[in-house]
Amino acid sequence: MKKHSVQIRIMLAAAALFFGLPLLAQNPTATGVINARLTHKNGIALVFDTDPSGVTLGAAGTSAATLNFGTISAFGPLAPGVTRTSVTAANYTVRTVFDVQVIQGGLNSNTYTLSAQLASALPTGFSFKIDGVTLANGASNIQTNAAYNVDVPHNLDLTVSTAAPGAGGPAVGTPLSTVINFQASAN
Amino acid sequence: MKKLLVIFAAAVMMTSLAAAQTATGTLTVSATVNGTISLVFNSDAAGVALSSGAGTNAASLDFGTVSAFGTLPAGVSRPAPTATNFTVSTPVDVLVNKANTASTNYTLTTQLSSADAANTWAANGAAFTNTTAGTATATGTYGSNVPVTLAITIPFTTASGTTISNVVNFTASAN
Repeated sequence: MKKHSVQIRIMLAAAALFFGLPLLAQNPTATGVINARLTHKNGIALVFDTDPSGVTLGAAGTSAATLNFGTISAFGPLAPGVTRTSVTAANYTVRTVFDVQVIQGGLNSNTYTLSAQLASALPTGFSFKIDGVTLANGASNIQTNAAYNVDVPHNLDLTVSTAAPGAGGPAVGTPLSTVINFQASAN
Repeated sequence: MKKLLVIFAAAVMMTSLAAAQTATGTLTVSATVNGTISLVFNSDAAGVALSSGAGTNAASLDFGTVSAFGTLPAGVSRPAPTATNFTVSTPVDVLVNKANTASTNYTLTTQLSSADAANTWAANGAAFTNTTAGTATATGTYGSNVPVTLAITIPFTTASGTTISNVVNFTASAN
């Protein structure tokens, strides 16, 4: 009986060696679970694009672009993309076109309202209109049902007094700048 | 009922959140203003009506058929002929406008585009040729029609039926 028991132990030990060694030879593994959570945030973005019939914007495709009418005058030549829409004894108006594109994601909104306002006081002798709407220091609605994800062209009119510098007219021969702030609000 | 109210409130909140979504952008606009003046021709009430281009800076003026002693078209004047030639004249209005300049008046000069060896041209009494400009006025007033009398002196030796044609270039310079 004792001899039989020893035999059984030897067999178990041999079995353990036979099956255990391959297991030890394998690479060790470990497992884990990550509970990932993604919060989808909706929103809209506004960028300016160059319109084919307007002047070429600086930093086009961004939300902080520049638009240069170049050298303007009541009677002289104008830069490409700039037209003179009227000349009177009191003032003249030059126009260019720029595009606004508003992109939205995750919103249940089909259109947006675009408003604009001057960031600061205008240079003497200047006034601006966008699509016929006079810009002021308070926000003015430019468009109330604009479509998302497409370039929407807007006319930018700059009306310049014909008065001489120092007599109500603008300074001449030097660049005059104005910042226009735009806001698109999802409808 | 309470659950319905909660759902309704949540829906209202989501709608208001969606409506509050905004995006902003800034467009910096710049321009450089130049002072300029412009010149256009208009028919003068006392002169020959411009045959084309009135209100522009490229007009045509036709004296019609002129002679030393015969009748003249309306608007054409003729002082007494000399022994060798006669002069016909007509006023034409020049309108010069200004913008963004402190200039108070302008000087107007005229010059022929091509030589005329036979005839003499003058504006407001100042002769001019294709090589020498004449000063029609040194103190032109902006913003109003200024009559300029254009005169051609024609020698008697000119063959009858001769057409006289030339281009007169007007230049207004801000003073």
